[in-house]
Amino acid sequence: MPEAFHIVERPQRFDAAFDPNMADVDVELLLTIPPFSEMDPEKFPKRTPLREIIAHDTRIRRYRKGEIITRQGDYGTSAFMVLSGSVRVVLEPRLPASLLGRREARKKGVFRLLAQLWNGRREPESFRGSQLQADERLGGRQSQDEFRVFLQDVPRILDRHRTDVMGTGDFFGEIAALSRNPRTATIFADSDQAELLEIRWQGLRDLMKSDDRLRAHIDRIYRQRALASHLRAIPFFRHLTKEQLAEVAAQTEFATYGEYDWSGDYKRMAKAGKAAPEPLVATEGDYPNGVVLIRAGFARVSRRFGNGERSLNYLGAGHFFGFSEIAHNWRQPDSPVALQNSLRVLGYSHLLVVPTAVMEKVVLPTLPARELPALIDAEAAPAEAAPEARSDAGAGEKLGADLLEFITENRFFNGTATMLIDLDRCTRCDDCVRACASTHDNNPRFLRHGPTSGRIMVADACMHCADPVCMIGCPTGAIHRETFKGQVTINPATCIGCKMCASNCPYDAIRMVEIRDADGQFLLDQDLRPILKATKCDLCVENYGGPACQRACPHGALVRMNMNDLDTFAKWLKR
Amino acid sequence: MTSFTRQRWVGTLLFLAASVVAVWTHLHFRGAVSHWYFVTGWVLLAVMLVVALYNARKKLPFLPMISSEGWLQFHIYAGFFTGTLFLVHVDFRWPNGWFESSLAWIYFLVMASGVFGLVISRVFPQRLSIRGGEVFFEQIPTLRHHAASEAETLALASIPESSATTIADFYERRLRAFFAAPRHFWLHLMDSRRPLNTVLDDINDLRRYLNEKERGALTRLEQLVRQKDGLDYHHALQSMLKLWLFVHLPLTYSLLLFTAAHVVIVYAFSGGAK
Repeated sequence: MPEAFHIVERPQRFDAAFDPNMADVDVELLLTIPPFSEMDPEKFPKRTPLREIIAHDTRIRRYRKGEIITRQGDYGTSAFMVLSGSVRVVLEPRLPASLLGRREARKKGVFRLLAQLWNGRREPESFRGSQLQADERLGGRQSQDEFRVFLQDVPRILDRHRTDVMGTGDFFGEIAALSRNPRTATIFADSDQAELLEIRWQGLRDLMKSDDRLRAHIDRIYRQRALASHLRAIPFFRHLTKEQLAEVAAQTEFATYGEYDWSGDYKRMAKAGKAAPEPLVATEGDYPNGVVLIRAGFARVSRRFGNGERSLNYLGAGHFFGFSEIAHNWRQPDSPVALQNSLRVLGYSHLLVVPTAVMEKVVLPTLPARELPALIDAEAAPAEAAPEARSDAGAGEKLGADLLEFITENRFFNGTATMLIDLDRCTRCDDCVRACASTHDNNPRFLRHGPTSGRIMVADACMHCADPVCMIGCPTGAIHRETFKGQVTINPATCIGCKMCASNCPYDAIRMVEIRDADGQFLLDQDLRPILKATKCDLCVENYGGPACQRACPHGALVRMNMNDLDTFAKWLKR
Repeated sequence: MTSFTRQRWVGTLLFLAASVVAVWTHLHFRGAVSHWYFVTGWVLLAVMLVVALYNARKKLPFLPMISSEGWLQFHIYAGFFTGTLFLVHVDFRWPNGWFESSLAWIYFLVMASGVFGLVISRVFPQRLSIRGGEVFFEQIPTLRHHAASEAETLALASIPESSATTIADFYERRLRAFFAAPRHFWLHLMDSRRPLNTVLDDINDLRRYLNEKERGALTRLEQLVRQKDGLDYHHALQSMLKLWLFVHLPLTYSLLLFTAAHVVIVYAFSGGAK
């Protein structure tokens, strides 16, 4: 009889090293140089000792002069420290898009539009040589098992752009790594043997937890560079004076929840039919410790219902949680209320928490009465059994509970241009697919198929995510956001077909295709393997009038929807 | 008022207003203007050509023109308006002569097929989404084949497993033909559940003669029958949503050809018809 169990090692925090080849001698050496030599190993918990963090969450990388280390606008999961040599930060003017491996989309002129009538190629994904030509000022080489892009003419860059040098011991990239925001500058190696320590975000997070100096350092630059501008965008801070805002910023706490690279886990669990973990940030019924502001990522607002949790809303960047309760308690201290709902992180979230005391002392007194939220009637809303009609956090009432759960479970809230199809109107004529193919080299960039909830189908098309996981790790910068409207597009000239973006995308919206030349012949490399390029919906960024799929639908059944604009979504549902 | 309802109201009111203006103009000018029927004929042809241009718009999705939805709305209401213009042009009488009669019949068929297409385009999608089991039209034969293969395998496997041919006989007698090809096309179009219920009743009747193991196989067969019926339903409705255009478009081209011939004939023989 087969055994009913199988004994294995319990998975541990340090099972998978950032660099499996990291040598003990390197770890020893790193422990002797600042900032690690100044850290007190005793302060680190037993589960995450300093030595293990360095051994498993860092790797040493060597760059040659001109090799690009980070690109402005890219998303990154790690920070860097210069060990030897130097690197340069490009300040002003910024490097042109073509030097970052990108392509500025240009609208097609009238002639190019009309030329499609007779110029259309019969074979899908055929490219002219010029379309696959990257900027001549860029070079590429295989280095340390990865493809690296380098600037061919560094003196010219130095001549035309203001730059700054960073040397041994300098840190960079930590804010982008921790807050999941795009990198703010392009940095390239300035010396021929620049040696850098790359620290992945998990290691950086654990180092910060146990080392006060590193935490204070990152805290300081975060508050200086990112926090004030974010706080200024929150509605209830707009009446604050500069000094008051600085006081709020100084006392704001920030925290990171979930897994930065959540898409892999999410895909695996979704395939297995399991729910992905959702770390709890605030619990219904607890005292509100502060207003939670979502800086990046998404979170789910829910309320107990029966033995489960019913989704009431999902919150994205710029949204907040707990404000109503704190405002209520400030106005009616004799009848305080607890948190009415719970907040859980979906995937990954970078959160800011403005403590209740700061809200009461600094923020709330500046707000006019009309901007204060309505008082909470705790009697009328028993927390343990909120009936359906009381799904009052907004989204549930607007979209309906089922649709909201569907969007939340499948993480479609990430989309800024999600393709929704109203099956009650769709005649399955495929005009949308044909329009997409006509506009994109005879290769439709989406499938008119996907998960459905009631009459709404979310088609398998790129959603142009608010939190674009696909952009993490592209070695050449080929996948990028357009400057003007933020569409996520791919530059075929610099895409090397590594599949990184396709495997990162949690929604399987990126496909690898074998490309052809202008004569329709497949392009092969020296080993006779096909040349692959990543393709996806680009929202017809080069065409006037918006996405061809939406304009081609005769029955108004298809729309590209920003899933965080619930009013427009609800209006479309009830049209 | 939803935007679709508002759209319908605006379209209908514009159509009615244009029709009233056309009929009023006709009644006032038909005796006063010589060759009045040339005027109404050319207006009718012009509107028909603009309406027919919708098909060209669909072929050029990359050009920044009005959305297909906007074009379709114009196509529908301007199409109805050609009905008014047609009645005005024939002076509210059915034409005599075989050529004009044929032309009128073709016009009537184009209009009828268009109205039919409009009705099913509004009704069938809702029925498909209520029924569920969304499937690509092109995948239906493959899925049907898989269901048929599994059903046959189940039926054959039941013989050695239960030492009886009850399920196999039932499959041969009742289900083989059902799985072999799309069935009940017209009944599905009419949203009839009778074909499915009849098979399910037969399956239920059979259940009392089976042992536990055979019942398991029959339950799976029942699921496959439901799946196949769903595929047939999608096949019938999606086919009709595609096929009506194969009637509407050739008829439209025929209408334009006949109209061109009509114009030539009218000008060729209009010398003595003042």
